[in-house]
Amino acid sequence: MDFTFTEDQQLFADSVKDFLQGEITAESIRASWETETGRSDELWAQITELGLPAMLVPEEFGGLGMTELDVVLMAIECGRVALHEPIVEMAMVATPLLAALAPNNEKCADLLGQIAGGEAKVAIAHTVNHVVADAHIADYLILPHADQIHLVAQADVKLEAQESVDPSRRLSTVDWTPSEATCIASGAEGVALLAATLNRGALASAAQMIGLAEAMVARSVQYSEERQQFGKPIGVNQALKHHMANCAVKTEFAKAPLYRAAYVLSMKPESADFAISHAKVVAGEAALFAAKNSIQLHGAMGYTWECDLHIWMKRSWALDKFWGHAGFHKNRTHQWLMNPNAQIGADNTFGAVAI
Amino acid sequence: MKLSFSAEDELFRKEVAAWLNDNLVGEFTQLKFRGGPGDEHMFPEERKAWEQKLAEGGWTCVGWPKEYGGRGCSIEQQVIFNEEYARCGAPGHVGHIGEGLAGPTIIAFGTEEQKQKYLPGIVAGKELWCQGYSEPGAGSDLANVKTKARFDEEKGKWIINGQKVWTSLAHESDYVFVIARTDPDSVAHKGLGFFLMKMDQPGIEVRGIEQITGTSEFNEVFFDDAECEADDIVGAPGEGWKVAMGLLGFERGVSTLGQQMQFQNELNQVIDIAKENGAYQDPTIRQRIAKAHTELKIMRYNSMRMLSGQGGGDGSLQKEALIYKLFWATWHRSMGELAMDVMGPESEILDGGPYELSRLQSMYLFVRSDTIYGGTNEIQRNIIAERGLGMPKEPRVAAK
Repeated sequence: MDFTFTEDQQLFADSVKDFLQGEITAESIRASWETETGRSDELWAQITELGLPAMLVPEEFGGLGMTELDVVLMAIECGRVALHEPIVEMAMVATPLLAALAPNNEKCADLLGQIAGGEAKVAIAHTVNHVVADAHIADYLILPHADQIHLVAQADVKLEAQESVDPSRRLSTVDWTPSEATCIASGAEGVALLAATLNRGALASAAQMIGLAEAMVARSVQYSEERQQFGKPIGVNQALKHHMANCAVKTEFAKAPLYRAAYVLSMKPESADFAISHAKVVAGEAALFAAKNSIQLHGAMGYTWECDLHIWMKRSWALDKFWGHAGFHKNRTHQWLMNPNAQIGADNTFGAVAI
Repeated sequence: MKLSFSAEDELFRKEVAAWLNDNLVGEFTQLKFRGGPGDEHMFPEERKAWEQKLAEGGWTCVGWPKEYGGRGCSIEQQVIFNEEYARCGAPGHVGHIGEGLAGPTIIAFGTEEQKQKYLPGIVAGKELWCQGYSEPGAGSDLANVKTKARFDEEKGKWIINGQKVWTSLAHESDYVFVIARTDPDSVAHKGLGFFLMKMDQPGIEVRGIEQITGTSEFNEVFFDDAECEADDIVGAPGEGWKVAMGLLGFERGVSTLGQQMQFQNELNQVIDIAKENGAYQDPTIRQRIAKAHTELKIMRYNSMRMLSGQGGGDGSLQKEALIYKLFWATWHRSMGELAMDVMGPESEILDGGPYELSRLQSMYLFVRSDTIYGGTNEIQRNIIAERGLGMPKEPRVAAK
């Protein structure tokens, strides 16, 4: 038994972290709000150079052949800087779906190669979401239609922009017509892939929310040292210390379920529902709680547009509701637990069969 | 104990409801359910006109004594008025700082001259007030006032220099009340004065602060040799803290009365959405809605209890009033979270651009300030523990 990451996994996450901390600042995020697409070709070129789009693309299709467990730490780092570029969803949600079909589908195989090489971008829709993220800069869209999955060129659909509460997010609704030519999966295969996609999206969101939560607490701790009231830093007050300590407890305790969810998804994806929902719920709670307590600690400053905190707060708000909101995932957990064949009890919780 | 209203009060309720029903029409229809918390920047001109309409009917300052132009309503009638006002969706009072804070302070502590000069404008709904308390370095530590007032013998006026912040509706206001240091060598709550000042003068500059809602309801206000008439200090120089504390009692008490019906309106809207989108089938949502409802009832019962013991007319409240701000602010913040969870994925999508929040989205953001302004939750808990329970006070920097 070993519930730790390997040195390679850790090194990879650290290198991504160094890159992101150097490139992404609150100022650069705010600057992106003012641009038409909200996205930067230059930044994307750097992201591609690091190999991030190719992470979960199998080696035979030009990728790095990594697993969810290898990249979950990277997703946390993307959350920590509130990254606005769509790398997490593209790499962790869209490419695995294409990879599942690529052995028997040339179109998917070709596209994977292009994504790995930084020549194409793809956005992915799901029935659990009401909108698609980053469809406006995608070359292709993966779109569900009943039990079918379609791969459609962006030029062949009509996008209508939807504004998000998070100015960093660029969302669209998609008007399109399914055809035989665009269908890449259907029937039982389509249903299974859509179910797996939901889990991957939820994992990607959960991981980012852990990074968001830690970033907000770090900023708040720093502010509590700087801001003076009653002739001393506000951080000396127990009331505020406890707010931050409670956040730390929630976030740390959300990491273990998150790591476990990444592990199960990479080892036995067909059994991952419970682990994924667990991770999404606790990560969302941690992020929203960190947002609430961080604003409270910042006082009225935390309620201003000028204070950077809302960049993280609004991303948490959006991701908590995206890829299945808390109620959705709690109900999935209930259903799993109430199943007459649910594998619960000590031997299942701690025994060898537990994944 | 008697938990029902008298027949006379019920008649009063009908009178209020009928007047509102007859008058909240035509040009004012668009104001229904607008201008409340998180929406106070909306329709300022139209809401000023509505304020004057209310005044024509004698429905401003209903709790003030008749001698000052009020309606002299009993506590029960004030409760009824506020309930009916919110029930029909009448807009947020653009004059509430004058009516709820400045006016009662002037009535309690002001001179006869000040009463005659300022109260009629508030009653008529024509003169709006804002509150100059907080400063960049004086938030929770309210007494850490740096704004200075010195009396200029030549001009025969007070000269004010400094900065206030988080001043709600300063950009719409005619007057501001300001606490400033009259004794430059003093610290903390000693040596302060309480000043009534005209906003429209060269020495005052107002700059809007953009909130996380993308709108600006409050402001920074800069005083650069701003002038205040010699007669417009309330109380003596050095008594400003006493006056300011009396006023905070109003803020935490009577002026929050009408909000419970607004809360009820919000809860009703959330319940409607839950029924519409199916969220009501989720047992965790059902429990949270039920909890929100029962806690709203607690607030209502408690405020009736609070106000029953009052009746002295000086606006002072009893001990149980100390808990009220903490309770409603925390409740309202949870209410925002519940609303977004009921909306689910739709909660992320704006009505339109640029940054056009729906009422509930705006409320979800605004409630973050509820637990901060007028004394943060942490300050409220200190007050409950120290003043309510008599626990040892935290060591403070000693005043000279």
